[in-house]
Formats: sequence, structure tokens, C-alpha cells
Amino acid sequence: MAKEIIKYLLLFVVLVVVQVVVFNHMCLFNVAVPLVFIYFIIKLPVTLPVNWAMTVSFLLGLMVDIFSNTQGMNALACTVLAAIRLPMLRLYFPREEDMTNPEPSLRTLGPGVYMKYLITVVAVYCAMFFLIEAFTFHNWGLMLLRIGASTLLTFIILLAFDSLSAKTR
Amino acid sequence: MRNLLNFLIRYSSWFVFTFYVVVSCGLLFNRNPYQHHVFLTSAGAIAAGLHDVSSNITGYFSLRDINDDLQRQTATLQAEVLTLREQVRHYRETEIQDSLRAIDSVGKFNFIIATAINNSITRPYNYVTINKGKLDGIRPEMGVMDQNGVVGVVNVVSDHYARIISLLNPNFRLSCKLRGSDTFGSLVWDGDDPRRAILEELPKHTLFHKGDTIVTSGYSAVFPEGIPVGIIEGKARGADDNFFTLRIRLLTDFTALSTVKVISNTDLQEIRSIETDATGGQSEQ
Repeated sequence: MAKEIIKYLLLFVVLVVVQVVVFNHMCLFNVAVPLVFIYFIIKLPVTLPVNWAMTVSFLLGLMVDIFSNTQGMNALACTVLAAIRLPMLRLYFPREEDMTNPEPSLRTLGPGVYMKYLITVVAVYCAMFFLIEAFTFHNWGLMLLRIGASTLLTFIILLAFDSLSAKTR
Repeated sequence: MRNLLNFLIRYSSWFVFTFYVVVSCGLLFNRNPYQHHVFLTSAGAIAAGLHDVSSNITGYFSLRDINDDLQRQTATLQAEVLTLREQVRHYRETEIQDSLRAIDSVGKFNFIIATAINNSITRPYNYVTINKGKLDGIRPEMGVMDQNGVVGVVNVVSDHYARIISLLNPNFRLSCKLRGSDTFGSLVWDGDDPRRAILEELPKHTLFHKGDTIVTSGYSAVFPEGIPVGIIEGKARGADDNFFTLRIRLLTDFTALSTVKVISNTDLQEIRSIETDATGGQSEQ
């Protein structure tokens, strides 16, 4: 149990640092922004009570907000994402009791289900983030383009993260 | 009582959810950048420390561009020095009598050199973080420029770091004029392209050409008159009847921001107090 907590704590810190130092400065073709820190929310064990999931997700979003001067945008989107993560997983994998390991991954869910889950979560998050951004700033065409491009880019990077962790095991 | 507790426990996730949503919305809709708390911005100690470390590494990447800019500026300055030297010699020769007085506006502005340790250009509201703060003499509402032109205005200051509202932030409007004329307009970023901005409210009778330089007007105490801002690229979207709206190519390269100069105006307090008395505090930077 303690080992798991330390593992997630490490993942939290590494993802915030990587997002802030590397991926925040990346903007492909002026539209695609990788939002990789949500990998933490994706990887939270399904057995974790939803209150805890929302708390850590809120803190994660707040951390990224502090470092990137986005005042509450990521905190709000992360909280909502943590609340609707399990219902989204149940869409594709209705019986989570069957999972051998509570952590969603390529191995525990199977590649097809996991990829569907991953792209749904990423798309929902990108949509929320850029919608919140657009509420304060009107440029709808650019916003839709950003949602699509960022979803695709984030999805590809997160799959790369998964293949990294699969190799080390 | 028991029922109430049961109710609270059963629906606890809704309460937790609502609480976090309310907190983040509170942060989100606090749109005035001057009210942001220092710990929740990149000027806070931890965030600034991390950006400091990463900028120590990435600072080398754009040195070539910056070097080119510096070379160009050195050349301009050198030319200016030569012209001025020529003028001084001319004055000495023609007016040996001691009627020349020192111009008393010289020395009003001081520069504090700082390094940008974090900078965003892709968001709708962009900010720059620098590694000088209160203890180095930096105060909110000081102007910031780099070797090419205007960068922004200081807004949150901690002991050793400060956050600047970038020119690429619609919260920041800069009063500008055409070089060599006195008609002025208001420069604002429209959120599309980090290399371009919009000059609004330029009177219709103004004569201008593509390629003319836009400089700061000096009507506010934040920037001295005549700091270059951008170059006219052409007319932008449907202008209304009385004013021109122009598209400006910014001279400052926000993608390679490194060393910046913070402009401290010794008369700033005095001018602010006069303006606050007169207009109730609404002024344009």
C-alpha cells in the first residue's frame, strides 16, 4: 500500500515537472498543446474512492495552474474529469471487478478497451480545458481546431508513456 | 441527526465536488491580474525556483538570435553616438558661451536588468516571469522592455521574482503613436499570433505608410516616449468610421525572450497620485 502511494506521489511530481518544464513550451503549428499531466488521473486505481480522486486531481490541476499562470482553469477541469472518469471507463468495461490490478493500463484492460478509454478521457479533458479558456476569450474556430489537434497530440504522447512503462516491467 | 449524517455521507462526493468546483471557479473568474495572489502565480517562490532552474538550461538555446539582435542594436547605437558626437562638436564650436543648460528630464528613468525565466506565448492571457523582485527595486506597474522593444508591465512582485503581464495579454493596452507624428492609438493583442498585434483608435486623418514604425507615446508614466513597439503591416478588419485599425508586426521576439530591462521611473508615484486624483484611478498603460 505504502509502495503504491509513493509510486503515485512520484508520478504526480514527475508529471507536473515534465508538463511545466517541457510540454508547456510546446505548441505544434500554433494549435496543438500537449496536456500530459492528466496521465495521473487516467492511472488512478479504480478502487480509489471518488472523493479522494477528486481531491488529488484538484491539487494536480492547481499545481499546474500555479506554474503556468492559468488561475483555476486546470483545477476546474481536473476536478470534473476525476468525477466522470469511472462512468467513462464503465462505458467500455462494465465489470471493473474483473480487473486483476486496479490500475487501468494496456495489460489490465486490454489494448482495445484501454485505447478507447484513453482517447475519451483525453478528448473530454481537452474539450473542457479549451472551452473554459474560450469562455474568457472568443475565438470559436480556433478553439475547435485546438481541441482536435491537442487531443490527438496528447493521445499519442500518452501512448508513448504507456509503451515506456510496459517495457520496464 | 442520524438521518442528517447518513444524508451527508451518502452524498458526500457531491459536496466535495461542489466545493472544488466553487474554489476553482473563484480562482478562474478573478480576471483582474492585479488581484492574483503571489503564491498562485509563477512569481511564487517554488514555481519561480523551478522556472529558474529550467531557464538556466534552456537559456542557451536562443542565444544566436539574441546575439544578432544585440549586434544590430549596437550598430544603431554606434551610429547614434557618432551623430551625437558630431552634434556636440558642432555646439561647442558655435556656442562657446555657457548658455547651454543640462536638460532636466535626463535621469528620470533608470533600468534594472533582469532575465526572463518563464514565458508563455500560446495561451490567451500570457505572462512572463523574471528573476528580479522587490529587493531589487521592482514594483508593480513598472514597464519592461528588451533589446528590441516593449515586453510588458510588472504586475505581481515577490521578494526575488516578479510576474509581468506580457504584451501578448488582452488585459494590457499600450498607448502608442507613429514615430515622427503625435497622433496616438491603443495597441492590444488579439490572441491569434505571437508576432502580431492590433493598433486601435488611430484617428482617421492620420497619414501612414506600410512599414512605418510604431513607438510608445510617453503619455503614461510607465514607458518613456519613443520605445519601438512594432511596424505597420496594413489595415486590419472592418474599421469603424472615425478610427483606423492597423495590423502591427511586433518588434519584440517573444519566442526568444531572455534579458529584459525593467524601467523604473522616479516620478511614477507623483504622476500616479495626480492621475488618481483627477480621474478616479482609471488610466491606460
